[in-house]
Amino acid sequence: MRNSMKVAKWEIKRNLKNKSFVIGLFLTPLLILGFGFLGTLFGSDDEPTETTVFVNDQIEIFDMLAETVDEYDLNWIVNRTDLSEDAIQDELENGEDIAYIYLTVEALESGVIPVYTTDDIDSGFSTSVQLLAGPLQQIRIAQLNLTEEELAIISSNIVFEETSAEDYTLPGEESVSSENPLEKLVPGIFAGIILFAIVVTGMMIFQSASQEKKDKIAEIILSSVTPGELMNGKIIGYFVLGIIQVVVLLIFVVPFAATQIDEPIIEYLLVPETLLLVFIAILGYLLFAAIFVGIGATMADMSTSGNFQGLVMMLPFLSFALIGPVLSDPSGMVAKVASYIPFTSPGVLIMRLTALDEWPWVEIIIALVVLIISIVLFMKLAGKIFKVGILMYGKNATPGEIWKWIRS
Amino acid sequence: MEVMLTVDGLKKSFKNKQALKGISFEVRKGEIMAILGPNGAGKSTTIRNIMGIMYPDEGSITFHNHQGKEIPRHKIGYLPEERGLYKNVRVMDILLYLADLKDYPLDKAKERILMYLKKFDLEGKEKIAVDELSKGMGQKVQFIGSILHEPELLILDEPFSGLDPVSQELFKEEIRGLADNGTAILLSSHQMNLVEEMCDRLFMIQNGQKVIYGTLDEVKTKYANFKCTIHGKNNLQVLESIPQVGRVEQKDEMAVLYLEQDVEPTNWLRSLPSEVVVHELKMNRISLHEIFIDIATNKNLIQDEVN
Repeated sequence: MRNSMKVAKWEIKRNLKNKSFVIGLFLTPLLILGFGFLGTLFGSDDEPTETTVFVNDQIEIFDMLAETVDEYDLNWIVNRTDLSEDAIQDELENGEDIAYIYLTVEALESGVIPVYTTDDIDSGFSTSVQLLAGPLQQIRIAQLNLTEEELAIISSNIVFEETSAEDYTLPGEESVSSENPLEKLVPGIFAGIILFAIVVTGMMIFQSASQEKKDKIAEIILSSVTPGELMNGKIIGYFVLGIIQVVVLLIFVVPFAATQIDEPIIEYLLVPETLLLVFIAILGYLLFAAIFVGIGATMADMSTSGNFQGLVMMLPFLSFALIGPVLSDPSGMVAKVASYIPFTSPGVLIMRLTALDEWPWVEIIIALVVLIISIVLFMKLAGKIFKVGILMYGKNATPGEIWKWIRS
Repeated sequence: MEVMLTVDGLKKSFKNKQALKGISFEVRKGEIMAILGPNGAGKSTTIRNIMGIMYPDEGSITFHNHQGKEIPRHKIGYLPEERGLYKNVRVMDILLYLADLKDYPLDKAKERILMYLKKFDLEGKEKIAVDELSKGMGQKVQFIGSILHEPELLILDEPFSGLDPVSQELFKEEIRGLADNGTAILLSSHQMNLVEEMCDRLFMIQNGQKVIYGTLDEVKTKYANFKCTIHGKNNLQVLESIPQVGRVEQKDEMAVLYLEQDVEPTNWLRSLPSEVVVHELKMNRISLHEIFIDIATNKNLIQDEVN
């Protein structure tokens, strides 16, 4: 163990002194922030395109309309107009971002309000214009001279509220689930970032193991430590490097997110759920680290990796393929099965626990047990492969050879 | 002399080829013991088994001076045949790491690193990256790494390969110096001239088997008989009929006569028949180099001895 720590310390020091690692360390959060910025850049690009809306108001509700526009913060310039529907042809053909709304008595009665727009119009316009439907509906109802109660009944929409058997709880507890969705999302996203960052850093293990072979230093190191110690040292070392990456990422991203999103993100993060999610992320790392270090030892050169090694490298990304089915049905068949498969379970568990309101504890525990058993198993296998592979110079091992090492 | 390492009946097979067929020898304190042999004879395999990098199928390896079953890694220095160091790291950093792995105190290690860098003509290079070093410099750094922690047993696999004559001399002196200070040294090589100059005992190996084992003097008196080289056109039969001649190699106008073991050179010269044509005549002992080549090419000059 003492030797493992020495190896770990060395791997950390070596990488932190390596320029390309340090650049990558800061580039990752910058890239993420960069994409965030790009989003807002494009977003704000759209904003200045104001739509000029002319209202031919024959029922005297222009002020109320203007109020609604203000209330929803629509990017409209509202003007009155007297032009009739026949006379606007020219205006529409030559103009840009112009809309004409005709509020006539007949239109209000029939409930169909004619709106004419230019070809070029803000993409959000058709959604925005629907916001006016509410106040107009109010006016229509008001004309019916109903009592307040009748008004309330009519103006409330009918909603179907679904409760599946699994989610059925006493009416009193119902309100808990209807809280802010971000509150549940934040720990999940946090664990997801940790898993992603340390797995990506963990891929460097793979490079480090195969580089050690290429540089032919393995034999010198192995004259001082056992192969097992060397392997564990690498796993621990790159775990710490992954955590450093996560910390740097958070230092950059969290303040940025806090200014962009108007929610107490830090508060959401400091909940007990985060602990379990992070624990799952760490288990995921250990599993993939064991696989990478083993496979890395079988390869003499990154550029000549065979199909087999390439396939193994893709394993951590398997759970990305399951994002769709798992999120659309977090308690479904796909999600449940994927929780029990060690390669997908860390990613899928994090997704499911984020999406589900009630945690299926039995499933979680079974999944964790399966995961931990596979970690122990893969560590053992990786140890065997590493021991032989790290000293085999000059060529990549075939799956057949690897199988032989495992059996020996 | 105190025995540091005993190797007994070492056997190791790869796939269906037997690489070591029962190797036994020992290394003593303060001596240089050489393992010699052509490429593929089993030198590196023997060394890797000693270092615990491979495990023998049969036989035992005993480190005296040490309790317990595992290898006393901290007391052994090892320079493997496959040379390499981490790229992108500074010379000082990697040497300190190697010393740290051997549990050697770091401040002392630092002192010794600077001392050795100076000795090996690498003064001031401790801060430059390994990949900026030339191959020979890298080899020196690696050698420093293997002796930094003052090992009791030093195992050097082909320490001289790839070195220029000046550096070879430097290595030779340093290795000799370490042995004089009591380090047990096991080195493998196929550069006979160097080995002949420095080793105390040698173990020659061919096809995973012992061929010769003994002190340099023993080996020389036992195997290094006289040979006589004659320039001049002579009949093979005439040469072969000369007494005490074991074997004759004739090529163009030159013949090499390998003499039997207890030849008295002056007496033998007197017994040369007068019809032998001599333009030039040379008489000397067979060198280690020739013994080695004979073994490597399976000419079996000393076949009788082996069988």
